[in-house]
Amino acid sequence: MNQHEQLDYLIDYLLNEQSDNKIFFNDYKQETLEDKFELFRGLCNVRAPQPISEDFLKIHDDFLTHWNQDRTLVSLEDLPAIQDQLYLWQGDITRLNVDAIVNAANSRLLGCTQANHTCIDNIIHTRAGVELRLACEEIIQTQGRKEPVGKAKITKAYNLPANYVIHTVGPYIDQRGLSPLKEHLLHSSYRSVLELAEEHQLKSIAFCCISTGEFNFPNQRAAEIAIKTVQDYLTETKSTMKVMFNVFKDKDLAIYQSILEQKE
Amino acid sequence: MKKRGNFLFVEKNNDTYTISMTPELQDDVGTIGFVDFILEDHFNTGDPILNLEASKTVLEMSTPLAGKVVERNEVLTTEPSLLNSAKPEENWVIKLTDVDESEFNNLEDA
Repeated sequence: MNQHEQLDYLIDYLLNEQSDNKIFFNDYKQETLEDKFELFRGLCNVRAPQPISEDFLKIHDDFLTHWNQDRTLVSLEDLPAIQDQLYLWQGDITRLNVDAIVNAANSRLLGCTQANHTCIDNIIHTRAGVELRLACEEIIQTQGRKEPVGKAKITKAYNLPANYVIHTVGPYIDQRGLSPLKEHLLHSSYRSVLELAEEHQLKSIAFCCISTGEFNFPNQRAAEIAIKTVQDYLTETKSTMKVMFNVFKDKDLAIYQSILEQKE
Repeated sequence: MKKRGNFLFVEKNNDTYTISMTPELQDDVGTIGFVDFILEDHFNTGDPILNLEASKTVLEMSTPLAGKVVERNEVLTTEPSLLNSAKPEENWVIKLTDVDESEFNNLEDA
């Protein structure tokens, strides 16, 4: 099967499986590969965590692995360290060939369920594949309740170039703004991820800017907390883990650069 | 005597230390709809004592003091929104004993 045929198969399977949702996807074009990928993505985003056929998974995994690896992947070896063990890189976190990437999840932990939404939770789940939602569902079922803010959970990364995804729920900032608890919880998200990564003996990890997107945490303060938590952790534990701050927006790149390039 | 730690109040009465909600924590989490006690008899400092789900967040509450559990506010399991109450006799979580007094004294004054 070529990529068109693979996507046609996957789309057909997903549309049949969730016939109630069909109507929402009527407006999607299906001409180019990119069109088809968007439809496939939307269908995966709204898909409930339920069992899926082995035949589907085989084609799905083959398609996603190639789709992900056909892009230029980025490894820490390709980048200069901005400080000892610390790296800064702007771009799509799903292109990173590191031990683990960090996902900014929500308390349901199931990944973004809004079709084709542009948040990081959506793109990580889409490119990792439908297995990721199933793995997260299992974690939540075992735990028996929603995922608290400031903790961390690890899963495989399935079809992504990374080996693992570490999921953390950052604090949500409403119109009342920051509070000491919310600042503490952001610190706690970073700290929990680092501890979990260490427990799994990971060598490299890439953080996204937790809580700064949909969760409205002010970018400057978030970066200060992120960098301080990581630096303190590395100093305190003498960990040899390499840590990347992955930014997406120009604004965050400028903020991280200005903090990390200050002479100590 | 009353102190603060881990965003909670701790009130000392003789050998019993009662852990309860602060108004700031109540504001941060919103209306509490679900609580789940961690059923241990003894906690170390920083151990989780309760999980809660509220209108604004999902939170694991951790104890600011080590000690032995003498009582839990069991009624919270059926009426979790009592944690939103302004009354200390309603918004408490657990009572501890066998607490190191110097650890308590080191907490921030309420």
